[in-house]
Amino acid sequence: MVNGYKPTTLQEAVEIKSRVSVTPYAGGTDLMVRNIPDAVYLFLNDIDELRQITQDDAYIRIGAAVTFTQALDSDLVPPLMKEAISRIAAPAIRNAGTFGGNLGNASDKADSVLAGFALDGRVRLVSAKGERVIPFDDFCVRRGVTNIADDELIAEILLPKEKCALPYYYKKIGGRSALAISRVAFAGAYEVHNGVIQAISATVIGEGKFTRYREVEATLIGKSVDEVSANADAYAERFIEKMTFTRGRVSAEYRKTVVTNLFKDYFASMK
Amino acid sequence: MKEICQSVKKKDHDPKIEGRSVYVDDYNLTASGKKILCGRLLHSIYAKAKVLSVTVPELPEGYYWVDRNDIPGDNNVNIVLDDTPVFCRDTVEYIGEPIGMVVGPDEKAVEALLKKIEVEYEELEPMLDLRNGDTTFFDYHFGHGDVDKAFAEADKVYEEEFTTGYQDQTYLEPQGMMAEPEEDGRMFVHGSLQCPYYVHGAVARAMGTGPEGVHILQDVTGGGFGGKEDFPSILGCQVAVAAKKTGQPVRCVYNRREDLEFTPKRHPSLSKYKLAVKDGMVTAVEADVRFDAGAYSTLSAVVLQRGIIAAPGIYNIPNVRVTGKAVKTNTTPCGAYRGFGAPQTFFAIEMMMDHIAQDLGIDSIAFKQKHFAKQGDMTSTQGRYHFPVPIPAMLDEVDELCDLRRKHIEYSRPQSGRYRKGIGFSAIFHGAGFTGSGERDMIKATAKLRKYADGTVEVLASNGDIGQGVRTTFPKIVAHELNIPLDKVYYSHPDTARVPDSGPTVASRSLMIVGELLRRAAIKLRGIWEEGKEQEVEEHYKQPDFMIPFYLDRFEGDAYPTYAWAVSAVEVEVDTYTGVVEILGAYGNFDVGTPVDYNIVVGQMEGGFLQGLGYASIEKMSYDNKGRIRNNSFTDYLVPTTMDVPHMVAKMHVEEYPDGPYGAKGAGELPLVAPPPAYLEAVEMALGGMKKHRLNAIPFSTEDVILELNKEVL
Repeated sequence: MVNGYKPTTLQEAVEIKSRVSVTPYAGGTDLMVRNIPDAVYLFLNDIDELRQITQDDAYIRIGAAVTFTQALDSDLVPPLMKEAISRIAAPAIRNAGTFGGNLGNASDKADSVLAGFALDGRVRLVSAKGERVIPFDDFCVRRGVTNIADDELIAEILLPKEKCALPYYYKKIGGRSALAISRVAFAGAYEVHNGVIQAISATVIGEGKFTRYREVEATLIGKSVDEVSANADAYAERFIEKMTFTRGRVSAEYRKTVVTNLFKDYFASMK
Repeated sequence: MKEICQSVKKKDHDPKIEGRSVYVDDYNLTASGKKILCGRLLHSIYAKAKVLSVTVPELPEGYYWVDRNDIPGDNNVNIVLDDTPVFCRDTVEYIGEPIGMVVGPDEKAVEALLKKIEVEYEELEPMLDLRNGDTTFFDYHFGHGDVDKAFAEADKVYEEEFTTGYQDQTYLEPQGMMAEPEEDGRMFVHGSLQCPYYVHGAVARAMGTGPEGVHILQDVTGGGFGGKEDFPSILGCQVAVAAKKTGQPVRCVYNRREDLEFTPKRHPSLSKYKLAVKDGMVTAVEADVRFDAGAYSTLSAVVLQRGIIAAPGIYNIPNVRVTGKAVKTNTTPCGAYRGFGAPQTFFAIEMMMDHIAQDLGIDSIAFKQKHFAKQGDMTSTQGRYHFPVPIPAMLDEVDELCDLRRKHIEYSRPQSGRYRKGIGFSAIFHGAGFTGSGERDMIKATAKLRKYADGTVEVLASNGDIGQGVRTTFPKIVAHELNIPLDKVYYSHPDTARVPDSGPTVASRSLMIVGELLRRAAIKLRGIWEEGKEQEVEEHYKQPDFMIPFYLDRFEGDAYPTYAWAVSAVEVEVDTYTGVVEILGAYGNFDVGTPVDYNIVVGQMEGGFLQGLGYASIEKMSYDNKGRIRNNSFTDYLVPTTMDVPHMVAKMHVEEYPDGPYGAKGAGELPLVAPPPAYLEAVEMALGGMKKHRLNAIPFSTEDVILELNKEVL
């Protein structure tokens, strides 16, 4: 027996969330495994407005209950995000797993979150009292912790359209070809005019948290791609020295070596 | 291809595909309509400790605590040495050892009660060191020739150590057994298992009833791979004791964490090899093989025997000295897994031969080929290869498949750049059937056919279908000989109350040994066939006349009547940035004699090949300094997925065995054994060869590639 609420509108859902202690449930791919005793769920699957992929002038907007399979079939979702989610788990899990869940369960290895970080993604949070839009950087505090308030629900992921249009780089290394948690993953988007870097993002899985080193990224702007890729080790080191790699299923040394190599590959790919 | 090779639809295909098969966990009530109690085990949390006291809380009505004091017979599980207790004795010897069982109607309530039991332990120092462990369950020595003289006269002597890790069978269905007291006083035990008569012997001993007091049925079994050879005997005794105490049916099904952590897996190994080379030929091999047995001896004797007999590989080396030890550590007892000790030693000798060739500056395929044993040559145990050894032809066929010899030389040259290639080659045998004179002296298989008045024929044997297809291939043989349609012959899951002991479902023996008994029985039945009459025929195993008697005390004679052979080639591309090894192609050539159903055999070969690749690369499991196995979930113990299946070719090379049905030999274990050394040789080649990166341990993972490259001295 599972207890829960099955609202059909977001308004209804946030009102329940403001009144009672519930666990939001969209795809259930983690929650079914966790099988929390006596949990009360807020089922979000029937809320149409959370299942839409839309766009406005500024953003590609992905509803929190959009599944990865749905996103892979969409023409609006940018290729970097598609590449990242195409490597999540296996088809059965991609058919059920959602963007809101991937972000909300605060894993430090969430593949869609990494792509969202690289694309300057934002998250729209809604409560009975109103709503706010904050960058992924502010939403993700550390592994297991987000900035969501008790009465809030994740409504949408917003990806800035000008970032979605940029060339990108993505690489995931798991323990095997499918059903594999990222041991290291690397995502970046960049803009180059006449051989000169105009914009760049670079972010990794392997640190136990999601971070953008924007001040380091800024030091690459205005540099020529030739200069950066010719001195890839030195430029990579600017990032690496800020990073702290975790050990767990693989060693910190492994993660650090691979991230260093992928920076080189990233810079080389811009040429 | 012979008619018998033509593939048919498997007899268990429809019920499995349609979800109608009933596994032990699926029963809501027993077949006789009784409620089933749930049993859950209390496992030791220390690798070695005295159990000073166990305090069980007051149990609600209908709930029971079961431990060694409830065992009607004696507290030793019949396996080989009978040193494994049903429930722990005064000490616990590994993390996970069963102390007792809580039994009751509601699983959650049983779980909650388990957590309330207080065990007072006095921790003792566990032994967790395979290299230095000095308690050995078994210590074997054998050899022939003058090894010392060969080393003294050698041009060069090579020494190297090789290690292999755990490997878990990861069958789809975890371990599960159920016991039902019957009205006539017998104990009926059934579940997920490979060897009904092994469980029969064990339960009879624990219950103290004699063999007539129990009977054992194999339920539909979701895979075994060896993992359900010995363990169901232990779990079967535990549920039987619980059913006896409560007077009610009791079932215990392991969850995946328990199964990964506390049930048998492949023995980790440490092998020291020393080879003498004179005039470009290996003249002597000395192998010192240590297997990590875990806390009790279970099947280690027979696993070790098969392993060390294969220690010199498929090579004709005139002087041989082999030592094999099964070392006790305070860890989960290791057991059987497809290959049964041979993957460890074949890995070592294949890598060793390759490394010597690299040192001599010659191609290792050519070097190995100079040493291939051939028909009439002496085996490691002074038996004979009585039948043709088809390895050279099989190698040529693999060469044709993947341009092996050319690539082997090309990829051995220095490579630069991010992506680097390698190709590895290995060749192995699998001794068909039980080691030594086991079939004649211990198993003494009997199989029967019962013809009913309506003309249908039932196969009566004790070999369990664990996915390898004996419910299909046994009837196929019988239908073929009787010249009746396949749907007139059936083979139900064996119940020891109604089938003779045709031996266990192990050692790649079922089809070759029992299949041949059934073929002979069918011929007999054909001769006496009378329409409308119920008739029964029986056949007994007879050892082939050509065999040289095997003496286990000296490891002398024919360890096996014949051998199945395999040649593998694995081609890889290593990404030196990420350590990811992409398998560009995996090529296997298998001689299992005549394949009695082509699709079944090819499926076996492909599946085993993939398990071999997993063993060599991603399947990492180990214990920590407390003796705890931490890789106890499918998140932490990775096996290959369908997406990890490379371009794979499984080719059949048929060298018929005259004493097997239609020329069939053992098949099941063969395909797993050859891929690991071929894989590691390929990776080593891609990394620049032995002189830059000498590899001698599996599993060798993506991470290991990077850490190895980081060692590179520039």
